[in-house]
Amino acid sequence: MSADVDWGVDVKRSVTMTVNGTQHTADVEPRLNLVDFLRIDLGLTGTHIGCEHGVCGACTVLLEGEPIRSCLFFAIQADGTTITTIEALAVDDQLHPIQEAFHENHGLQCGFCTPGMVLAALAFLEDNPSPSEREIRVALAGNLCMCTGYVNIVKSVQAAAAALAGKAGT
Amino acid sequence: MTQHSVLGTQHSTWVGQPFPRIEDRALLTGLGQYVDDLTLPGITHAAYLRSPHAHARIVRIDTAAAEALPGVCAVMTGEYVARNANPQRMRIKAAGSPNVYALAHDKVRYVGHPVAAVAAVDRATAEDALDLIEVEYETLPPLVVAADAMAPGAPLVFDEIGTNVLWHDTFVYGGVDEAFARADQIVRERIDIQRYSSTPLETFGSMAQYDPSNGAYTIWGHTQMPGQELGGISRALRVSAGQVRFIVPRMGGAFGNKLRPLNLISLALLARKAGRPVKFIEDRREALALSQSADMQVDVEAAITNDGEILALRIRGIVNEGAGLDFALRHNVLMLANTVNCYRVPAVSYEGYSVVSNRPPIVANRGIGKPVMCLAIERTVDAIAHTTGLDRAEVRFRNFIQPDQFPYETPSGNLYDSGDYPALLRKALEIIDYDGALEKQREGRSQGRLLGIGIAAGVEPGISNAGHNALIGESKITGAGEAARIRMEMDGTVTVYTGGLEAGQGHATALAQVVADQLGLHPDQVRVPLTFDSGTHPYVMTSGNYSNKFHGEDVAAAIGAAQKIRDRLLNRASSQLDAAAVDIELRDGRAVVRGVPDRSVAIAELAASAYGSLAPDQAEIDEPGLEVVHVHTDPMAIRMDANRRVKIQLSFPSAAHVALVEVDPDTYETKVLRYVIVHDCGREINPMIVDGQIHGSVVHGIAAALLEEFVYDAEGQLLSGSFMDYLKPTSADVPMIEGDRLATLSPFTPLGTKSVGEGAAVVAPAAIASAVENALEPLGIRIGALPITPSRLWTLASEGGARYGHADN
Ligand code: FES
Ligand code: FES
Repeated sequence: MSADVDWGVDVKRSVTMTVNGTQHTADVEPRLNLVDFLRIDLGLTGTHIGCEHGVCGACTVLLEGEPIRSCLFFAIQADGTTITTIEALAVDDQLHPIQEAFHENHGLQCGFCTPGMVLAALAFLEDNPSPSEREIRVALAGNLCMCTGYVNIVKSVQAAAAALAGKAGT
Repeated sequence: MTQHSVLGTQHSTWVGQPFPRIEDRALLTGLGQYVDDLTLPGITHAAYLRSPHAHARIVRIDTAAAEALPGVCAVMTGEYVARNANPQRMRIKAAGSPNVYALAHDKVRYVGHPVAAVAAVDRATAEDALDLIEVEYETLPPLVVAADAMAPGAPLVFDEIGTNVLWHDTFVYGGVDEAFARADQIVRERIDIQRYSSTPLETFGSMAQYDPSNGAYTIWGHTQMPGQELGGISRALRVSAGQVRFIVPRMGGAFGNKLRPLNLISLALLARKAGRPVKFIEDRREALALSQSADMQVDVEAAITNDGEILALRIRGIVNEGAGLDFALRHNVLMLANTVNCYRVPAVSYEGYSVVSNRPPIVANRGIGKPVMCLAIERTVDAIAHTTGLDRAEVRFRNFIQPDQFPYETPSGNLYDSGDYPALLRKALEIIDYDGALEKQREGRSQGRLLGIGIAAGVEPGISNAGHNALIGESKITGAGEAARIRMEMDGTVTVYTGGLEAGQGHATALAQVVADQLGLHPDQVRVPLTFDSGTHPYVMTSGNYSNKFHGEDVAAAIGAAQKIRDRLLNRASSQLDAAAVDIELRDGRAVVRGVPDRSVAIAELAASAYGSLAPDQAEIDEPGLEVVHVHTDPMAIRMDANRRVKIQLSFPSAAHVALVEVDPDTYETKVLRYVIVHDCGREINPMIVDGQIHGSVVHGIAAALLEEFVYDAEGQLLSGSFMDYLKPTSADVPMIEGDRLATLSPFTPLGTKSVGEGAAVVAPAAIASAVENALEPLGIRIGALPITPSRLWTLASEGGARYGHADN
């Protein structure tokens, strides 16, 4: 192989997306992953990379409100979409009730899975506001945590469901 | 889990409380600042070209095309490394001491061995450049299993040491032969354990910068032993330790896996060559290929009486160390620390082999040899029950070290601190309703269900005494301890720096609780910077986050430093309050004359005067400033005696585990129905954090028993190199963890604490193996190896039942 081989990657394409309420436009290589775009181009390093092959869920973000694995998405696939990352959850220094529940129930240790876990829980609780333990376990089975043994994560989601229900009721 | 059941009232305000973690807020909001979240102006990104062969000679490397690729800043090969750096040496001078460099330069010794490194403007360009490097290899026969590497005439992994047996020794403690001569029976077990890993979700990472103006390096990177790492890195880079500023950001899990100094050395050299800072974050494929525990084989012979009493043990361990030195020999030593588990065994011998092979160098995964030794002993105890016809719990009750025997000295010289093992097992059996479970099992069996009850008990040794190095060779590092520096700021709050590191264990919260108690403050007034920085944090060679030493060494160091601050505050308070220092106490932010609450002064005021009042009369009261360093040296960490007896570990928490499983008679999938652990880690600084550590640790152990395995083929190729085939437990795979605590205080630590965190992963594999074997009793299948996968059970069952072990090694 020679150095002047054409990789076909330097043809950049323009993408526009709304991330955490702010619209961004950038020229990116077609091969750039969404997670790298968020972390490197936008500096939103709260979204983590644990495997880059779609198994661990650390890179979970919400695309149009649905959880996706941003390591399996090219940035150009997200053109024209609205994305939410962990950085948007706490408002005015006030933790979101799910974040609060993780804090109170010791639902995190090293914290590396936490952003993905919290976003997955957020999307899940919107679909199923009063889940059983089993439903929580199945819903979060796409997000690996190496530290907690999941016990306190499940408890956190249970507590968050209760807190959100209480909030909705008031 | 319930609150302490044995522990009495605590004479402290914060220690013992489930204080919410001060670490959480940043982590919950995406502000963790892990190493990959850091960057520098002009940053470049590294990628490594790795060997596709398990064993080969490097004939030629051509990097010209890679160097010419636009965006590439440097290409480095092993030849550059060998010219510019010293080889890594074993930490301990043992018989064979091969030279290992940060990149392969003569031979590749495992699949994944780094051959060349590229720094480029982005990671993708660096990876493009790897494709342009041409390497010509002359392949050599790969040695994948220990037995092949040990065979006479086998090819050599390291030519310079002339053998693949890096170390071999036998230790005999007490009258082993005599006991075997008078035994009623001899029970034999062989245990094979696979390579596995607790796989921190964050992979290994680092960033390095070289300053040509003064020849100094700054390295941000993962380690679990900053003092030893700094020594090793500076020696390799041929600079003074003072010319390396070493920064260890908060880690996304570590579990012993993040101690791989060669990565840091090669990245530092690459930064120097590139003339720009460079960052390297391992991808998951690399992490799985390069962070593995050792595969091991343990043979146990137990001399027993017909009553099931164990008279002596003869143990032989073979450790496949792979092709590196980072953690060589450690598994063997730590297995020796765990030979009698929680039993009164008067005589024991241990013969250990450390074998190099063409698998990747092993790392120090959670427990390092202790899980396999616990498994081997607990399997043996189950076998004794089988042989004698006694109940498995009963054999344990008959052999347990009794509560009135503590501190208990084991034959090899460990001194067990405290415990009540019979109470732990009784309680665990009570929670699971053992008799009820046996009844349900009988019922289930009559309906063709394969229900199993697993029992395991164990000590979970923690805190390495570096004095154990003497067992395997010469070392300048001895003892155990940690360093702490505390600065009381001018506003009366404090900042605590230690040589420990944070990887998820909540050490900052626990230290804040401990220090707050010592100084009469609220934990919110105690800051514990989570990023270790050799420029600000004190350290010694035994510093770090390993062997569950935090509760003992780090806490004692912080207490020692806090007490120095306290004494200094009392000097000032004594002069202001006109009372003797011994009559003054610190509480609720004030220095108060005991019994006279209205004679007091705010700690903040004392601190302000320490910084501000420099007139000579003030300096007489106490020296100005309020900053102290304290290095704690553990009084228990004494040297080896003339009979080669040594306290290898210094802390002995304990636990009983009982598991209920069901094996599907069609698919042979094992489901854990209930899991109970009753544990004793002494006084708990923060019971909420302790519970979390235990949950995670148990699940690591369950997964090691049922799911996880680095599978190698005969060519030394890794067949389970992604999370698609290296199976991690998900939330849907494991149950809630039930249990209780029965604390007995350690007499050897300032607060009565014992280790916690690693322990449950030490005992859990044994409990699961016991449960599955019990479930499969109707089929006559015995369990002698991990992991216990459906396909293996299915094969054995279809062959009409047999012993599951590895016949081939
Ligand atoms: S990093 Fe995307 S799923 Fe693991
Ligand atoms: S808290 Fe560490 S991976 Fe979940």
